[in-house]
Amino acid sequence: MHLADEDLMQLVRRGDAAAFEMVYDRHATAAFSLAYRMTGTRNAAEDVVQEAFLSLWRSGARYDRTRGSVRTWVLGIVHNRAIDALRRSMVHDRRRASDEGIEERFEARERTDVEAARRDEARDVREALETLPPEQSKVIELAYFGGFTHSEIASMLDTPIGTVKGRMRLGLEKLRGQLGGLAEAAT
Amino acid sequence: MTVCEHHESVASYVLGAMPEDEHERFAAHLTTCEQCQTTVAELQVAADSLPLAATQIVPPPELKDRVMNVVRSEAQLRQAAEQPAAARVKEPKRRWWRGRFLGLAPLPAAAAALLIAVLVAGGILVAGGGDNTRTVQGQVLIASAPTARATLKLSDDATKLTVSGMPAPPAGKVYQVWLKPPMQAPKPTRALFRVDSKGDADVQIQDSRLKGIEQVLVTAEPDGGSQAPTSDPVIAAMTA
Repeated sequence: MHLADEDLMQLVRRGDAAAFEMVYDRHATAAFSLAYRMTGTRNAAEDVVQEAFLSLWRSGARYDRTRGSVRTWVLGIVHNRAIDALRRSMVHDRRRASDEGIEERFEARERTDVEAARRDEARDVREALETLPPEQSKVIELAYFGGFTHSEIASMLDTPIGTVKGRMRLGLEKLRGQLGGLAEAAT
Repeated sequence: MTVCEHHESVASYVLGAMPEDEHERFAAHLTTCEQCQTTVAELQVAADSLPLAATQIVPPPELKDRVMNVVRSEAQLRQAAEQPAAARVKEPKRRWWRGRFLGLAPLPAAAAALLIAVLVAGGILVAGGGDNTRTVQGQVLIASAPTARATLKLSDDATKLTVSGMPAPPAGKVYQVWLKPPMQAPKPTRALFRVDSKGDADVQIQDSRLKGIEQVLVTAEPDGGSQAPTSDPVIAAMTA
């Protein structure tokens, strides 16, 4: 029987370990990929994903289906944990030092139609990001994947904070427009 | 319509790029500003798509084993604790430090057995040291960290806590050391710490031996520490 994520979360809330395992299986690859992209090392990414899923297990009651999908919620937790890890241990410098080539060794295979569809979606997001003016994609990249604050980005780029915030907003607005257009074209 | 003065900060908020204090201020503002709420909802759609831009990498199977081991043991513990709940007489709620030790609610046998397993794994041994130095093995009370260790070293000129394998404190929190005299609430110390990537930390508690203190405790507290514990202890070490 295939249960939707939202139904599984109801069971997780009641302490159902088997339901939690299904949630893990569905989202661990996306979670690990985001954590690895942010921290740049396999060990740090594993720590982040472990912390994130255990916090999800213990705080399942906080999931509110009206505020988005389980996947978005899971990735939001991973993102916050990775930012904490980055700001706490300053692993920024270690990034991409020891784990170069991990993509070739561990890259996910397309096993199901759902994953294939996700691949297409991922390609769309990457392409949409590439069409943004470089100064906008740069600040989004540094903030979201780099875990840097807008003040840090302003000083790294020697640009006023207001300009950094403006570029973030313009970039996200364009991204949303492009992805919205793609979604409409697909339907 | 006038544009809210915080409007330009919304993108930084949804990207998680605000420094912590500013983030808290903006989150408070958001509860009352409809204009910013609408913009957050709009830009969040774009921010939520960003994880898809990361190359998809399969996590190692050992990671799932580690997560599921903790989840299964906690599920068992929870189940065991819930089963006879109806039959239990409700105890009045009390602060955990009112009791001599943990102030845990009475657990049924199965749950207690599991908890004891966790405590034993955490170590409860009191060992002697050389000369005037004494080493006390503390109890680590985190079920998800069965290999974590805490050791208290007491000598005439210093009291130190060494931890290893501890999970990081929750986001926005630090570990804080407390000194608990008998029959009294724990007293705060300025010993605040986080652990490194291996979960290790060395913490200097004070420059002398503890006097009149029954237990050294550690809790997770908001950054900057607290005057009274706001959460249950994660480490407990008897000093006497």
